Amino acid sequence: MIGPFLQRLCVAALAAVLVGAQGALCAEITIALGSEPTTLDPQLVDDGSERAVNDNIYETLMARTPKGELIPGLADGMPVQSGADAWRFKLRPGIKFTNGEPFDADAVVASVKRIVDPKFNSQQISYFAAIADAKKVDDLTVDVVTNGADPILPARMYWMKMVPPLAAAKPDFIQNPVGTGPYKLVKWTRGATVQLAKNDAYWGGAPTIDGINYRFIGESGTRLAGLMAGEFDIITNLLPEFMERAPKAKVVLGLEQPTVILSAVSGVTQDLRVRQALNFAIDKEGLAAGLFGDNAKVSQGQLLAPSYFGFDPQTNAYPYDLAKAKALIKDAGAQGKTITLVGTAGRWLKDREIVEAVAQMWTEAGLKVDVKIFEFNEYLKRLFDRNARPDAVFVSNSNELMDADRPLSAFYSMTGPGGSNADTQMKADIDAARTESDTAKRLTLYHKIVSHAREQAYFSWLVVVSDLYGTSARLQWEPRTDAKLLVKEMTVKN
Amino acid sequence: MGAFIVKRLYYGLYVVLGVTIVVFLVTRVIGDPVSAMLPMESSAAQRAAFAQQLGLDRPLYVQFLDFLGNVARLNLGESLWQHRPVTQIVFEKLPMTLYLVGIGMALAIALAIPLGILAALKPGGMVDRTTVMLSLLGLSVPQFWLGLLLIIVFAVDLRWLPTSGSGDLKHMVLPAVTLALPALTRMVMVIRSAMMDELNAQYIKVAIAKGMPFRRVVGVHALRNVTVPVMTLAGWEVIRALAGYSVVVETVFAWPGLGLAAMQAIERQDLILLQGIVFYVAIMVVIINVGLDVAQKFVDPRVKLG
Repeated sequence: MIGPFLQRLCVAALAAVLVGAQGALCAEITIALGSEPTTLDPQLVDDGSERAVNDNIYETLMARTPKGELIPGLADGMPVQSGADAWRFKLRPGIKFTNGEPFDADAVVASVKRIVDPKFNSQQISYFAAIADAKKVDDLTVDVVTNGADPILPARMYWMKMVPPLAAAKPDFIQNPVGTGPYKLVKWTRGATVQLAKNDAYWGGAPTIDGINYRFIGESGTRLAGLMAGEFDIITNLLPEFMERAPKAKVVLGLEQPTVILSAVSGVTQDLRVRQALNFAIDKEGLAAGLFGDNAKVSQGQLLAPSYFGFDPQTNAYPYDLAKAKALIKDAGAQGKTITLVGTAGRWLKDREIVEAVAQMWTEAGLKVDVKIFEFNEYLKRLFDRNARPDAVFVSNSNELMDADRPLSAFYSMTGPGGSNADTQMKADIDAARTESDTAKRLTLYHKIVSHAREQAYFSWLVVVSDLYGTSARLQWEPRTDAKLLVKEMTVKN
Repeated sequence: MGAFIVKRLYYGLYVVLGVTIVVFLVTRVIGDPVSAMLPMESSAAQRAAFAQQLGLDRPLYVQFLDFLGNVARLNLGESLWQHRPVTQIVFEKLPMTLYLVGIGMALAIALAIPLGILAALKPGGMVDRTTVMLSLLGLSVPQFWLGLLLIIVFAVDLRWLPTSGSGDLKHMVLPAVTLALPALTRMVMVIRSAMMDELNAQYIKVAIAKGMPFRRVVGVHALRNVTVPVMTLAGWEVIRALAGYSVVVETVFAWPGLGLAAMQAIERQDLILLQGIVFYVAIMVVIINVGLDVAQKFVDPRVKLG
């Protein structure tokens, strides 16, 4: 399992220990992912496994702290607006890709142009559609030009991996990744492993863990078995019911937020009182405890997690009040009327169970709930059907940019692919916030939108789910809110 | 014989073509790769542009004719996700599946024949009752569950074997046994009853009456007559393992074969890869069938080819 390069390294480290030097023991960890990366080109696909590996090989201009705060990465300081529709990034000097290509303005320009090129057809384009171009100012300064003002651009650049222009132009780039990051590829044995070794020349200081083996195991029971047998150091998506089986379980409030979109334009949910009743009827604490073993927090009446820009601390969850829900339903004359609830199964953690629990609670409030669980593609057709909005449709949203614009544009806005209302004012506010360059004003707008939508009960907000990891006893690590598995933040204690 | 093989392969071509067309149509009608490939928040315009780049916005019949033309030239296209030729991916994964199915089925057949015969020799005896009971158990256990059970016992508790993956022979043991057990139990039941019928036949009684050694009666005369149905059944089991059960077993054990690749192609709606895999599996099924017919002719000259 250990590559020849690492083997030599380990032997050297061991020899150092034997002669009494204070050398660190050779440490190599194994991470089990749910599937094999489809490619190791960091700009091509929207694939969690590809990201998990490449997050350790590649870097971005902006980074985030484990708690989610945006900080400079490869950029030397926070970017500044260099015009109404451009952001200026200064770059850290002296950084090289592991193949020797310099990381400079040309590399940034090439990386930006590559991913937004329509012919490249990147699956990540929805993160970068606002970007028009990139221009070199000098060797270590770049202007990223947007279509109109784009206050979210710094957050977008936390998602765009910087690639070396020469290597990225070669056809074998999909399997020979070359980055500036703390690790570099040793070997990708398709079907079996991806092996990485630490980049000793890393500008941020070489990491303590020498090597990483990635393994790909789709079945969660098998992943857990491998962890219990001591074969793995980290498994992702540990099921709540298996927490006690893992040598160590790590929990962090994540980004995934299961929610029900209520239609304000059709069906029994057209009545505001019914939509509010559907919120009062739900025992959010009960959902978090019953389905997630308390590894979830009550959603605060908005499709934003507390770590997002735009989160409104003044807006909070509808309390669980069944009597009030019943009264509102009675007021609206909706007793015994049918509400259709659309969901899917097997896509998100506990998706079917959540839908069934919600249906049960709504039934108790006095409605007749018609649950329709569809296969994922059929489900998506209904979720995105602009002509016939379902009364209620379950969705689980996670927003990697950690900025309010993306979820609000997609699900709050009446023209978004998942919007179920006809609120022209709210749409105008969302559009205005997208191009508002004054941060304070932008935040005020989001607070207004979020509290308005809460009053209007356009959704039945449920919970924010925690990410669960199982780790070996020797691994020292605290998981990040953005779910990145950055091995440079880990150590091993034997 | 040669003419027979050519004829059967020619018919096989229709089977392959038929299966491929069905897969093409079903995946296109049910699936939507664009929704599976782009993040949920992508706008309608982004979805449309993406579909256009992939050629998925064209009318179905245009896509279909394009597809047929490419298949005729043995060009099965490029995986939507992996950006590599489908044929390359299939031939990378196929040896792993053949290896697994080969060992698993060899194990099943090698155990099923003696067990079936032993059970048939003394119906109602200890061996027979034990075999039947174990077979029924094996038949009713879901393969998925069986795999996980074996992992817990032999990899987690006893630590004799690795939990999953591929590499040395140790990695092969649990997946091969999981693949073999249900096939083994089905074959044991059939061999047992076929052998019982045979042992009750007149010619066996005559042979025993005239003093022929019992071992020879069973091992040569009866067994030979049982061989043809057993071969048919074994061939059927190999096909089922190759085209069906390997998907389950490879998923449970993260065995990097064609079954796992098919599973992931379905999850990701990689229609091009999926139809490519089905195309090659269909070809293998045809070849195995023809091979089986020919082999039967060798075992039993009375079998008519045509």
